[in-house]
Amino acid sequence: MNFLLIAVGVLILVVLLWLVLAYNSLVRLRNEAAQGESSIDIQLKRRADLIPNLVEAVKGYATHESATFEKVSNARAQALGAKTLGDKAAADGAMQSALGGLFAVAEAYPQLRAVEAFTKLQTELSDTEDKIAAARRYYNSVVQRFNTKQQTIPTSLIASAFGFSPREFYRLEDDAEREPVKVDIAR
Amino acid sequence: MTLQEQIRSARLRTVMVLVLFVILMAAIVAAIYVAFGSGYGVIMGLVAVGYGIFGYIAAGSIVAAASGAHKITKDQAPELFLAVENAAIAAGLAKTPDVYIIEDPAPNAFAAGRTPEKAYVAATTGIIQLLDKRELEAVMAHEMAHVRNRDVRLMTLAAVMVGVISMIADMLLWSMIFSGGRNNNNNPIGAIIAIVAIILAPIGAALLQMSLSRRREYLADATAAELTGDPEGLARALYKLGADQRPLQKVNRATAHLWIESPLRDHHGMSTSLAGLFDTHPPLQERIDRLQEMGGFQLPPLPKGAAEA
Repeated sequence: MNFLLIAVGVLILVVLLWLVLAYNSLVRLRNEAAQGESSIDIQLKRRADLIPNLVEAVKGYATHESATFEKVSNARAQALGAKTLGDKAAADGAMQSALGGLFAVAEAYPQLRAVEAFTKLQTELSDTEDKIAAARRYYNSVVQRFNTKQQTIPTSLIASAFGFSPREFYRLEDDAEREPVKVDIAR
Repeated sequence: MTLQEQIRSARLRTVMVLVLFVILMAAIVAAIYVAFGSGYGVIMGLVAVGYGIFGYIAAGSIVAAASGAHKITKDQAPELFLAVENAAIAAGLAKTPDVYIIEDPAPNAFAAGRTPEKAYVAATTGIIQLLDKRELEAVMAHEMAHVRNRDVRLMTLAAVMVGVISMIADMLLWSMIFSGGRNNNNNPIGAIIAIVAIILAPIGAALLQMSLSRRREYLADATAAELTGDPEGLARALYKLGADQRPLQKVNRATAHLWIESPLRDHHGMSTSLAGLFDTHPPLQERIDRLQEMGGFQLPPLPKGAAEA
């Protein structure tokens, strides 16, 4: 009888301990995901801040390309106004295609590449692209862990009870290969 | 094995090694108890704990000074700095670690600092020259992986445990020599067990420490591949490091486990499986093979001789 009581007590303790650990890991992942999103935001903001100077630099040489410039500044406005993650990703995609257009224009003016301010902006922009990619990779990997944990037993049992909900991935719609590289090729 | 499987397996093996460490400690305590009784064991235990705490605190920030590293700003080495920044973002670190440079033509790099907040990375001038952007970022991702996996703390702890075990063994040995035949109440079998334990324990502890270090290298490689999404970049970097044979100028064995590849080249030609047990790093070829396995690509094998570095 005594033994039974102890066994039940130990069992309850173990379950409680697991509950605490599982809950904490869910909270940790949720915070990490939020941190990951803000780190994407920082880099998107940094890119948006580079745009006006970049446009100015190119405008000085390519005067007849107002459509391209407009596309870029629209993309910038879209990026700065984006509130949800989906909006941000959509603006990110729009910005990438607009910048692609801008650099295609810049290609046509070799004098531009001799301008130090322009090349400096270009390297800074490509560095920002790298950092956006890195931040996106981190965010998506955290979200994947977070969502998997909420969908698999036994954590799924407490996830809904405590009001955890799956997070959205940061996806660029235009190209699938930009998703976090799944290194899953079995030999 | 896929990337996720490799990460899981490395974690599991770490736990196994740590469990062995604990068993070893318990065995030593048992040996002391059998040979000398509990009173002696308590004193020895207190001394060991004190030594351990002191060692853990003292092992703080000696690494950078010992390797001749000095702190740099972004302008002094932009490509290195950017690589560290990108790797830190990919690893989800709250702040970019400080960056140090070591004036040394031998290509190598390490990360140190016990918590991600206090972490810093150092790279030699050699590695900046040798590697391109992609490879340098992969190496920095490996270092960030060490930071994120809290490897510096783990390995400091392991080193302190080895120190404590060696110290206990020394104390036991001396006390046995001096107490000689006075402990008549002990049984001879207990004494023999104690002697064997005294001899074997430090060796076993050192073996466990090195094994742990190798596990963490594999784990850092796999984590880096996950962070960059580019196992091939790291494999290429390791390949170049393997082909380069210059030894580091300032290195000591105590910090060897921190580097991207082993900075010690003193066992050339005797890299048999037995000598491998005392290595802090797995063979480069083996590390490249595992990256190839998870990434599904193929590099040419390392030239003979280089693979043993």
